[in-house]
Amino acid sequence: MSFDEIGKVFLILLKYLLPTLKVFGMTLLFSIPLGMIVALLKMCKVKPVSWLMNIYIMIMRGTPLMLQVIIAYFAIPMLMQNAATPAWLNSLLSGVDIKGDAYMFRSVLVAFSLNYAAYFAEIFRGGIESIPKGQYEASACLGFSRTQTFFRIILPQVFKRVLPASTNEIITLVKDTSLANVVAYAEITMKAKQQMQLYSSLTPLVLAGVMYFVLAMVLSLLSSFIEKKLSYYK
Amino acid sequence: MRKHFFGKLLTGVLTAAMMFTFCGCGAADTSGSAGSDTPAASTADDSLKKVKDAGKFVLGLDATFEPMGYTDENDQIVGFDIDLAEEVCKRMGVELVKQPINWDTKEEDLNGGRIDCIWNGMSVNASRQETMNLSEPYMKNAMVFVVPADSDAKSMDDLAEAKIGVQNGSSAQEILEASAIASTMNEQVLATNVEALMQMDSGLVDAVFLDSVVAEYKINADQKDWKILPDGLEEEEYAIGFRKNDAALRDEVQKILGEMKADGTVEKIASEWFGSDVTTIQ
Repeated sequence: MSFDEIGKVFLILLKYLLPTLKVFGMTLLFSIPLGMIVALLKMCKVKPVSWLMNIYIMIMRGTPLMLQVIIAYFAIPMLMQNAATPAWLNSLLSGVDIKGDAYMFRSVLVAFSLNYAAYFAEIFRGGIESIPKGQYEASACLGFSRTQTFFRIILPQVFKRVLPASTNEIITLVKDTSLANVVAYAEITMKAKQQMQLYSSLTPLVLAGVMYFVLAMVLSLLSSFIEKKLSYYK
Repeated sequence: MRKHFFGKLLTGVLTAAMMFTFCGCGAADTSGSAGSDTPAASTADDSLKKVKDAGKFVLGLDATFEPMGYTDENDQIVGFDIDLAEEVCKRMGVELVKQPINWDTKEEDLNGGRIDCIWNGMSVNASRQETMNLSEPYMKNAMVFVVPADSDAKSMDDLAEAKIGVQNGSSAQEILEASAIASTMNEQVLATNVEALMQMDSGLVDAVFLDSVVAEYKINADQKDWKILPDGLEEEEYAIGFRKNDAALRDEVQKILGEMKADGTVEKIASEWFGSDVTTIQ
C-alpha cells in the first residue's frame, strides 16, 4: 500500500474510534455497578439468591463473548418471528425498532455489559472478602451502622485492592470491543477488515492494532497514576 | 439496615435500566409496529406495503464482495448490485438503506426482519431456494479455481491433493465439498474470498475456489499474478433473496428490474462495472 492509501485508511479508522469507545465506555458504565450488585447478591445469606448469581456468573464466564453477542443480537428478532411467543411479550417487543440504527449498538451493549458484570462481580467479591472481619467489628463498636461501615470503611479499601485486577479487565475490554464485528457493528476492526479486503493487504489490520495499543497504553498509564494517588498510607 | 442498603441499590439500577430502555423505545415506535400484527395473525402479504409505508428498503450485504457490493477507499458502500438497487428504489419511491451484515448469519438477519433482502452476488442453490424467496437469476457465474501464475496445476485433477481455500458459508464451499476431489483435497475454510486469496499469495494455500466474477475482477483490477484454471465446476447464477412470504415485494423488484432492462438502464450500469451487459435479466 502507498503512503497516501495508508493515510486514507487511517482516517477512516479514526472515524470509527468513536463507536469503539462508545461500546467501551457504556459497557464500563453499566457493568461496574451491575458487577457490584451481583457481587453483593452472591454474598447474600439467602442461599437461592446466591445460587442464582453463581449460575449467572458461570454462564457468562463459561461461554464465549462472541456467542453471547450473536445471541443478544438475534434474540429479539427471533422471538418476534416465533409464533409460540406469548402475546404480551410480542406487544412488548413490537416497540423495538430492529431495523433502526440504535438496535445493533444496544444489543451489543447488553451482551458486553452482562458479560463484563460477571467478571467484575468476582473481582469485587474477592476484594470485599479480603477485608478482615475485625474491621466490621471495630466499626460496629465505634457506632457505625452497617451501611456506613460498608460505604465509609470497607468500600474505599476494596477500591484500592481491586484496582489492579479491574485494570486488567478494562484493558481486555478495549480489545474485546472488536468482537462486536460478528454482528457487523461498524467499529475499528470491522472497518479494518473491509479495507483489508479492498486493498488485499494486511496493513489496515496493523493500523487497527496500533490504535488498540495506544488505547490500552493510555488506560494502563491512567491506572498506575490512580494507584499511586491512592497509596497514601504507604 | 441491610435490607435498606440493597433496596436502594436495586432501585437505582432498575431506574437506570428502565430509563435506558424507554429512551430507546420512544424514538423507535413508528406506525408499522402498532402491536396488532403478531406474526401468525395475518397471512396476507403486506411486504410491499410495509416497505413503501416505511419509505425505506433495507438491503443486506457482506460489504466486502467486489465488484457486486463492497466498501470502497472512501468508506462508501458501492458496487454493481448497489447501483442496480439504487435505481430500483428510486423507481419504487423509497430510500435504499445499505445494511452490512455478517454473511454467516444472513438467513437469520433476513428471517428476523433486520433486512428486507439479501442482494450481494448471492448464488442460487438448493438450500437457498428452500429457505428464501429468490428473484429470477440476474447474472451468470461460474465457480473457478485460481492458482498463482507459476503454479504447476493445469487442471482441477492436479489439485486432488492440494490445499484449497474457500469462503465459509459460500456456495463455492458447498460445490467444492460435493466435487470429485473432495475426499483427497485439503480444504481451508476462510471468512472471505479475499482472505483466501491473500493466504494463497503468502503460500498458505495452493489454490482458491471462488466465483469467476470476483476472480476476473480481482485479477484485472489489482493486476495480480494469478491464473484461472480452465475447467470450472458447474455454472451458476446470482439472484436476490427475499423472505419466503414476501412475494409482493419480490415481484415488484422483479418487475422494476425488467423495466430497467427494457429501457437500457441495466445495460448502462453493467457497462460501468463490467464493460458490457453481462446480466441475464429478462
